[in-house]
Amino acid sequence: MTIRDIVKMKNTGYCILVLVAIHFFSCSDDKCNLETDTLLKTELLVQDQNLNQIKYIDSLSVYSDEWTDSIHYSKEGSNNSIFFMLSPNSDTTQIIITSTVVELNDTIFLYHKRNFVLISPECGFVVNFNIDSLANTRNYIDSVFIRNNEVSTNENGHIQIYF
Amino acid sequence: MRMGIFKYIFSIIIFFSFIHAYGQEDSLYVQPEEKEPLKFLGLKFGVNVGRFADFQFKPERFSYEGSFDFNLNNKYFGIIEAGYSEIDLEKDTYNYSLEGTFFKLGMDYNMLKKYPSDFLGIGLRLGRANFSHSAENVSIEDDHWPLFTTSIDSRTYNTYWFEVSFGVKGELLKNVYLGWSAIVKVHISGGKDESFLPYDIPGFGKGGNTVNLGVNYYIYYQIPFDRK
Repeated sequence: MTIRDIVKMKNTGYCILVLVAIHFFSCSDDKCNLETDTLLKTELLVQDQNLNQIKYIDSLSVYSDEWTDSIHYSKEGSNNSIFFMLSPNSDTTQIIITSTVVELNDTIFLYHKRNFVLISPECGFVVNFNIDSLANTRNYIDSVFIRNNEVSTNENGHIQIYF
Repeated sequence: MRMGIFKYIFSIIIFFSFIHAYGQEDSLYVQPEEKEPLKFLGLKFGVNVGRFADFQFKPERFSYEGSFDFNLNNKYFGIIEAGYSEIDLEKDTYNYSLEGTFFKLGMDYNMLKKYPSDFLGIGLRLGRANFSHSAENVSIEDDHWPLFTTSIDSRTYNTYWFEVSFGVKGELLKNVYLGWSAIVKVHISGGKDESFLPYDIPGFGKGGNTVNLGVNYYIYYQIPFDRK
Protein backbone atom coordinates (compact mmCIF):
# COMPACT_ATOMS: atom_id res chain seq x y z
CA MET A 1 0.00 0.00 0.00
CA THR A 2 1.45 3.36 -1.01
CA ILE A 3 0.93 6.72 0.61
CA ARG A 4 -1.32 7.54 -2.33
CA ASP A 5 -3.57 4.64 -1.33
CA ILE A 6 -3.50 5.79 2.28
CA VAL A 7 -4.32 9.33 1.22
CA LYS A 8 -7.20 8.13 -0.92
CA MET A 9 -8.45 5.86 1.84
CA LYS A 10 -8.15 8.60 4.41
CA ASN A 11 -9.82 10.96 1.96
CA THR A 12 -12.88 8.72 1.93
CA GLY A 13 -12.78 8.48 5.72
CA TYR A 14 -12.42 12.22 6.02
CA CYS A 15 -15.40 12.86 3.73
CA ILE A 16 -17.53 10.54 5.86
CA LEU A 17 -16.33 12.29 9.00
CA VAL A 18 -17.14 15.69 7.49
CA LEU A 19 -20.62 14.55 6.50
CA VAL A 20 -21.28 13.18 9.99
CA ALA A 21 -19.95 16.37 11.56
CA ILE A 22 -22.06 18.56 9.26
CA HIS A 23 -25.09 16.50 10.21
CA PHE A 24 -24.24 16.82 13.91
CA PHE A 25 -23.65 20.55 13.74
CA SER A 26 -26.71 21.23 11.65
CA CYS A 27 -28.76 19.55 14.39
CA SER A 28 -27.25 21.64 17.17
CA ASP A 29 -29.22 24.66 18.33
CA ASP A 30 -28.01 28.13 19.16
CA LYS A 31 -28.58 27.65 22.90
CA CYS A 32 -25.94 27.71 25.58
CA ASN A 33 -25.32 24.22 26.94
CA LEU A 34 -22.40 25.05 29.23
CA GLU A 35 -22.23 25.93 32.91
CA THR A 36 -22.27 29.73 33.20
CA ASP A 37 -22.80 30.30 36.93
CA THR A 38 -19.84 31.63 38.89
CA LEU A 39 -21.14 31.45 42.45
CA LEU A 40 -19.44 31.82 45.79
CA LYS A 41 -20.35 29.15 48.32
CA THR A 42 -20.83 30.82 51.70
CA GLU A 43 -20.96 28.36 54.57
CA LEU A 44 -22.66 29.60 57.75
CA LEU A 45 -21.53 27.92 60.96
CA VAL A 46 -23.11 28.95 64.26
CA GLN A 47 -21.09 27.95 67.32
CA ASP A 48 -22.33 30.55 69.77
CA GLN A 49 -24.83 28.90 72.14
CA ASN A 50 -26.86 32.09 72.58
CA LEU A 51 -27.32 32.47 68.83
CA ASN A 52 -28.27 28.82 68.57
CA GLN A 53 -30.84 29.24 71.32
CA ILE A 54 -32.58 32.12 69.58
CA LYS A 55 -32.35 30.24 66.25
CA TYR A 56 -30.32 33.01 64.66
CA ILE A 57 -29.57 31.10 61.48
CA ASP A 58 -33.18 30.04 60.84
CA SER A 59 -34.18 33.63 60.15
CA LEU A 60 -30.95 34.72 58.51
CA SER A 61 -30.91 36.67 55.25
CA VAL A 62 -28.14 38.00 53.06
CA TYR A 63 -28.35 41.02 50.79
CA SER A 64 -26.34 43.76 49.20
CA ASP A 65 -27.25 47.42 48.83
CA GLU A 66 -27.35 47.03 45.05
CA TRP A 67 -29.59 43.98 45.09
CA THR A 68 -33.28 44.22 44.43
CA ASP A 69 -33.94 41.23 46.69
CA SER A 70 -32.28 39.12 49.36
CA ILE A 71 -31.37 35.48 49.94
CA HIS A 72 -33.13 33.79 52.84
CA TYR A 73 -31.33 30.93 54.50
CA SER A 74 -33.11 27.63 54.26
CA LYS A 75 -32.03 24.64 56.29
CA GLU A 76 -33.32 22.01 53.91
CA GLY A 77 -30.74 20.67 51.47
CA SER A 78 -28.45 23.64 51.93
CA ASN A 79 -25.53 22.09 53.85
CA ASN A 80 -25.48 25.32 55.89
CA SER A 81 -24.60 27.22 52.73
CA ILE A 82 -25.91 29.94 50.51
CA PHE A 83 -24.66 30.74 47.02
CA PHE A 84 -24.39 34.10 45.28
CA MET A 85 -22.40 35.86 42.60
CA LEU A 86 -19.83 38.47 43.55
CA SER A 87 -20.24 41.97 42.16
CA PRO A 88 -19.71 42.02 38.37
CA ASN A 89 -19.38 45.83 38.28
CA SER A 90 -16.83 46.42 41.04
CA ASP A 91 -13.73 44.85 42.57
CA THR A 92 -15.40 44.98 46.00
CA THR A 93 -18.52 43.10 47.04
CA GLN A 94 -20.37 44.23 50.14
CA ILE A 95 -22.64 41.62 51.70
CA ILE A 96 -24.89 42.33 54.67
CA ILE A 97 -26.00 39.52 56.96
CA THR A 98 -29.14 40.09 58.93
CA SER A 99 -31.50 38.05 61.09
CA THR A 100 -34.95 38.97 62.38
CA VAL A 101 -34.13 37.70 65.87
CA VAL A 102 -31.28 40.19 66.49
CA GLU A 103 -30.99 43.95 66.34
CA LEU A 104 -27.66 44.41 64.57
CA ASN A 105 -26.36 43.38 61.17
CA ASP A 106 -22.94 42.21 60.08
CA THR A 107 -21.21 43.33 56.92
CA ILE A 108 -18.54 41.50 54.91
CA PHE A 109 -16.38 43.20 52.31
CA LEU A 110 -14.84 40.87 49.75
CA TYR A 111 -11.99 42.32 47.70
CA HIS A 112 -11.45 40.54 44.42
CA LYS A 113 -10.32 40.69 40.79
CA ARG A 114 -12.75 40.20 37.93
CA ASN A 115 -11.83 38.23 34.80
CA PHE A 116 -14.04 38.33 31.73
CA VAL A 117 -14.08 35.12 29.73
CA LEU A 118 -15.92 34.39 26.48
CA ILE A 119 -16.73 30.72 27.10
CA SER A 120 -18.53 30.07 23.82
CA PRO A 121 -20.30 32.06 21.11
CA GLU A 122 -23.67 30.79 22.39
CA CYS A 123 -23.04 31.35 26.12
CA GLY A 124 -21.19 34.65 25.81
CA PHE A 125 -19.16 36.14 28.63
CA VAL A 126 -18.93 35.03 32.24
CA VAL A 127 -17.09 36.79 35.05
CA ASN A 128 -14.59 34.72 37.01
CA PHE A 129 -13.40 36.10 40.35
CA ASN A 130 -10.23 35.82 42.33
CA ILE A 131 -10.74 36.81 45.97
CA ASP A 132 -7.73 38.65 47.40
CA SER A 133 -8.89 39.41 50.92
CA LEU A 134 -11.90 40.26 53.05
CA ALA A 135 -12.93 42.37 56.01
CA ASN A 136 -15.95 42.09 58.28
CA THR A 137 -17.77 43.60 61.22
CA ARG A 138 -17.90 41.50 64.40
CA ASN A 139 -21.34 42.01 65.88
CA TYR A 140 -22.16 38.32 65.65
CA ILE A 141 -19.45 37.09 63.32
CA ASP A 142 -16.55 35.46 65.10
CA SER A 143 -14.31 34.77 62.10
CA VAL A 144 -14.36 34.35 58.32
CA PHE A 145 -12.07 32.06 56.32
CA ILE A 146 -11.40 31.90 52.59
CA ARG A 147 -11.29 28.19 51.69
CA ASN A 148 -11.06 28.61 47.91
CA ASN A 149 -10.45 32.02 46.40
CA GLU A 150 -11.12 31.03 42.76
CA VAL A 151 -14.71 31.56 41.68
CA SER A 152 -15.31 30.37 38.13
CA THR A 153 -17.40 27.95 36.11
CA ASN A 154 -14.83 25.25 36.96
CA GLU A 155 -13.87 26.20 40.52
CA ASN A 156 -16.24 26.56 43.46
CA GLY A 157 -15.12 29.54 45.45
CA HIS A 158 -15.80 28.92 49.12
CA ILE A 159 -15.79 30.99 52.33
CA GLN A 160 -16.76 29.94 55.83
CA ILE A 161 -18.38 32.32 58.32
CA TYR A 162 -18.30 31.36 61.99
CA PHE A 163 -20.78 33.03 64.37
CA MET B 1 1.20 24.27 34.35
CA ARG B 2 4.97 24.58 33.82
CA MET B 3 5.32 20.96 34.91
CA GLY B 4 2.76 20.04 32.23
CA ILE B 5 4.86 21.74 29.54
CA PHE B 6 8.02 19.95 30.73
CA LYS B 7 6.10 16.68 30.65
CA TYR B 8 5.18 17.27 27.01
CA ILE B 9 8.69 18.34 26.04
CA PHE B 10 10.12 15.29 27.81
CA SER B 11 7.66 12.99 26.00
CA ILE B 12 8.62 14.56 22.67
CA ILE B 13 12.36 14.04 23.36
CA ILE B 14 11.73 10.39 24.31
CA PHE B 15 9.62 9.94 21.18
CA PHE B 16 12.29 11.33 18.88
CA SER B 17 15.06 9.40 20.66
CA PHE B 18 13.08 6.25 20.00
CA ILE B 19 12.60 7.07 16.33
CA HIS B 20 16.26 7.95 15.97
CA ALA B 21 17.32 4.73 17.68
CA TYR B 22 14.95 2.70 15.51
CA GLY B 23 16.39 4.29 12.39
CA GLN B 24 19.91 3.45 13.51
CA GLU B 25 19.20 -0.19 14.38
CA ASP B 26 20.42 -1.68 11.06
CA SER B 27 23.62 0.28 11.11
CA LEU B 28 24.76 -1.65 14.20
CA TYR B 29 25.22 -4.77 12.12
CA VAL B 30 26.14 -3.55 8.65
CA GLN B 31 28.75 -1.23 7.29
CA PRO B 32 27.47 2.31 7.83
CA GLU B 33 26.33 3.93 4.63
CA GLU B 34 28.10 6.98 3.46
CA LYS B 35 26.03 10.00 4.42
CA GLU B 36 24.35 11.61 1.46
CA PRO B 37 25.00 15.34 1.36
CA LEU B 38 21.88 17.45 1.74
CA LYS B 39 20.54 18.44 -1.65
CA PHE B 40 17.68 20.79 -2.37
CA LEU B 41 15.18 18.82 -4.48
CA GLY B 42 12.19 21.10 -4.77
CA LEU B 43 9.67 23.47 -3.31
CA LYS B 44 6.02 22.85 -2.50
CA PHE B 45 3.42 25.54 -1.96
CA GLY B 46 0.41 24.50 0.08
CA VAL B 47 -2.99 25.83 1.08
CA ASN B 48 -4.76 24.62 4.20
CA VAL B 49 -8.14 23.78 2.71
CA GLY B 50 -9.40 22.66 6.13
CA ARG B 51 -9.72 26.35 6.97
CA PHE B 52 -12.43 26.67 4.31
CA ALA B 53 -14.61 24.42 6.47
CA ASP B 54 -14.83 27.26 9.01
CA PHE B 55 -18.06 28.46 7.45
CA GLN B 56 -19.67 25.28 8.78
CA PHE B 57 -17.74 24.49 11.95
CA LYS B 58 -16.68 27.95 13.12
CA PRO B 59 -18.89 30.42 11.28
CA GLU B 60 -17.66 33.24 13.50
CA ARG B 61 -14.11 32.82 12.14
CA PHE B 62 -12.63 33.78 8.79
CA SER B 63 -9.10 32.52 8.29
CA TYR B 64 -6.61 31.27 5.75
CA GLU B 65 -3.26 29.55 5.94
CA GLY B 66 -0.52 28.65 3.47
CA SER B 67 2.83 26.92 3.57
CA PHE B 68 6.13 26.45 1.79
CA ASP B 69 8.16 23.31 2.20
CA PHE B 70 11.74 22.97 1.05
CA ASN B 71 12.62 19.42 0.11
CA LEU B 72 16.08 18.23 1.16
CA ASN B 73 16.85 14.68 -0.09
CA ASN B 74 13.14 13.76 0.18
CA LYS B 75 13.94 13.17 3.83
CA TYR B 76 14.04 16.52 5.53
CA PHE B 77 11.65 19.37 4.73
CA GLY B 78 12.12 22.89 5.96
CA ILE B 79 8.65 24.30 6.63
CA ILE B 80 7.32 27.85 6.71
CA GLU B 81 3.62 28.32 7.43
CA ALA B 82 1.73 31.57 7.78
CA GLY B 83 -1.86 32.65 8.07
CA TYR B 84 -4.45 35.20 9.05
CA SER B 85 -7.49 34.87 11.28
CA GLU B 86 -10.33 37.13 12.32
CA ILE B 87 -13.33 36.52 14.52
CA ASP B 88 -16.45 38.60 14.56
CA LEU B 89 -19.26 37.80 16.93
CA GLU B 90 -22.30 40.04 17.19
CA LYS B 91 -24.75 38.71 19.74
CA ASP B 92 -27.51 40.14 21.91
CA THR B 93 -25.31 40.10 25.02
CA TYR B 94 -21.92 41.04 23.53
CA ASN B 95 -19.89 41.99 20.47
CA TYR B 96 -16.46 40.41 20.23
CA SER B 97 -13.75 40.84 17.61
CA LEU B 98 -10.27 39.40 17.22
CA GLU B 99 -7.78 39.86 14.41
CA GLY B 100 -4.26 38.59 13.95
CA THR B 101 -1.60 36.79 11.99
CA PHE B 102 0.55 33.79 12.74
CA PHE B 103 3.80 32.36 11.51
CA LYS B 104 5.34 28.92 12.01
CA LEU B 105 8.82 27.69 11.33
CA GLY B 106 9.89 24.08 11.54
CA MET B 107 10.89 20.84 9.96
CA ASP B 108 9.33 17.58 8.75
CA TYR B 109 11.10 14.24 8.73
CA ASN B 110 10.07 11.65 6.12
CA MET B 111 10.18 8.08 7.42
CA LEU B 112 9.44 6.55 3.97
CA LYS B 113 12.23 4.99 1.98
CA LYS B 114 10.33 3.05 -0.67
CA TYR B 115 8.24 5.89 -2.14
CA PRO B 116 10.43 8.88 -1.36
CA SER B 117 8.39 11.46 -3.29
CA ASP B 118 5.48 10.79 -0.91
CA PHE B 119 5.61 11.58 2.77
CA LEU B 120 4.76 9.83 5.98
CA GLY B 121 6.42 11.30 8.97
CA ILE B 122 6.62 13.65 11.83
CA GLY B 123 7.15 17.37 12.15
CA LEU B 124 8.13 20.02 14.63
CA ARG B 125 7.12 23.68 14.54
CA LEU B 126 7.63 26.80 16.56
CA GLY B 127 4.64 29.13 16.19
CA ARG B 128 4.14 32.81 16.88
CA ALA B 129 0.91 34.80 16.68
CA ASN B 130 0.38 38.52 16.89
CA PHE B 131 -3.21 39.50 17.51
CA SER B 132 -5.54 41.94 19.22
CA HIS B 133 -9.05 41.52 20.56
CA SER B 134 -11.76 43.64 22.11
CA ALA B 135 -15.36 43.39 23.29
CA GLU B 136 -18.27 45.80 23.42
CA ASN B 137 -21.72 45.79 24.98
CA VAL B 138 -20.86 42.88 27.25
CA SER B 139 -23.93 42.29 29.43
CA ILE B 140 -23.67 40.26 32.61
CA GLU B 141 -26.98 39.08 34.01
CA ASP B 142 -27.63 37.72 37.47
CA ASP B 143 -30.65 37.04 39.67
CA HIS B 144 -29.58 39.59 42.29
CA TRP B 145 -27.24 42.13 40.75
CA PRO B 146 -28.65 44.70 38.33
CA LEU B 147 -27.75 44.19 34.68
CA PHE B 148 -24.12 45.18 34.17
CA THR B 149 -22.86 46.29 30.77
CA THR B 150 -19.24 47.01 29.99
CA SER B 151 -16.72 47.25 27.15
CA ILE B 152 -13.18 45.93 27.07
CA ASP B 153 -10.68 48.00 25.10
CA SER B 154 -8.50 46.41 22.44
CA ARG B 155 -5.53 44.50 23.84
CA THR B 156 -2.61 43.20 21.77
CA TYR B 157 -0.52 40.11 22.47
CA ASN B 158 2.27 37.96 21.09
CA THR B 159 1.87 34.25 21.73
CA TYR B 160 4.44 31.49 21.20
CA TRP B 161 3.81 27.77 21.03
CA PHE B 162 5.43 24.50 20.02
CA GLU B 163 3.88 21.89 17.73
CA VAL B 164 4.45 18.20 17.07
CA SER B 165 2.67 16.69 14.08
CA PHE B 166 2.24 13.36 12.40
CA GLY B 167 1.03 13.32 8.81
CA VAL B 168 0.98 12.01 5.27
CA LYS B 169 1.31 13.60 1.83
CA GLY B 170 0.65 11.76 -1.39
CA GLU B 171 1.01 12.84 -5.00
CA LEU B 172 -2.45 12.30 -6.46
CA LEU B 173 -1.93 14.18 -9.73
CA LYS B 174 1.33 15.22 -11.28
CA ASN B 175 2.89 17.79 -8.94
CA VAL B 176 -0.31 18.01 -6.88
CA TYR B 177 -0.24 16.54 -3.40
CA LEU B 178 -2.86 15.99 -0.75
CA GLY B 179 -1.92 15.72 2.85
CA TRP B 180 -3.22 15.50 6.42
CA SER B 181 -1.54 15.99 9.68
CA ALA B 182 -2.64 15.59 13.28
CA ILE B 183 -1.09 18.19 15.54
CA VAL B 184 -0.45 18.69 19.23
CA LYS B 185 0.18 22.35 20.14
CA VAL B 186 1.72 23.31 23.46
CA HIS B 187 1.57 26.90 24.65
CA ILE B 188 4.93 28.41 25.62
CA SER B 189 4.27 32.05 26.48
CA GLY B 190 2.12 35.13 25.95
CA GLY B 191 -1.52 35.85 25.26
CA LYS B 192 -2.94 34.34 28.44
CA ASP B 193 -4.32 37.48 30.00
CA GLU B 194 -6.60 36.02 32.67
CA SER B 195 -8.61 39.22 32.95
CA PHE B 196 -9.66 38.95 29.29
CA LEU B 197 -8.82 35.59 27.76
CA PRO B 198 -8.59 35.49 23.96
CA TYR B 199 -11.29 33.27 22.51
CA ASP B 200 -9.14 31.80 19.73
CA ILE B 201 -5.44 32.54 19.22
CA PRO B 202 -4.66 32.61 15.46
CA GLY B 203 -2.86 29.39 14.51
CA PHE B 204 -2.92 28.03 18.07
CA GLY B 205 -6.59 27.63 18.93
CA LYS B 206 -8.54 28.06 22.14
CA GLY B 207 -6.89 30.77 24.20
CA GLY B 208 -7.69 29.27 27.58
CA ASN B 209 -5.95 25.96 26.84
CA THR B 210 -2.30 25.09 27.41
CA VAL B 211 -2.55 22.21 24.95
CA ASN B 212 -4.65 22.26 21.79
CA LEU B 213 -5.15 19.48 19.28
CA GLY B 214 -5.71 20.09 15.61
CA VAL B 215 -5.93 18.57 12.16
CA ASN B 216 -4.63 20.20 8.99
CA TYR B 217 -5.87 19.26 5.57
CA TYR B 218 -3.58 20.60 2.87
CA ILE B 219 -3.36 20.69 -0.92
CA TYR B 220 0.18 21.27 -2.24
CA TYR B 221 1.59 22.16 -5.60
CA GLN B 222 5.14 21.16 -6.26
CA ILE B 223 6.97 23.71 -8.39
CA PRO B 224 8.29 21.47 -11.18
CA PHE B 225 11.83 22.61 -11.57
CA ASP B 226 14.65 20.09 -12.00
CA ARG B 227 12.20 17.20 -11.63
CA LYS B 228 12.39 14.07 -13.81
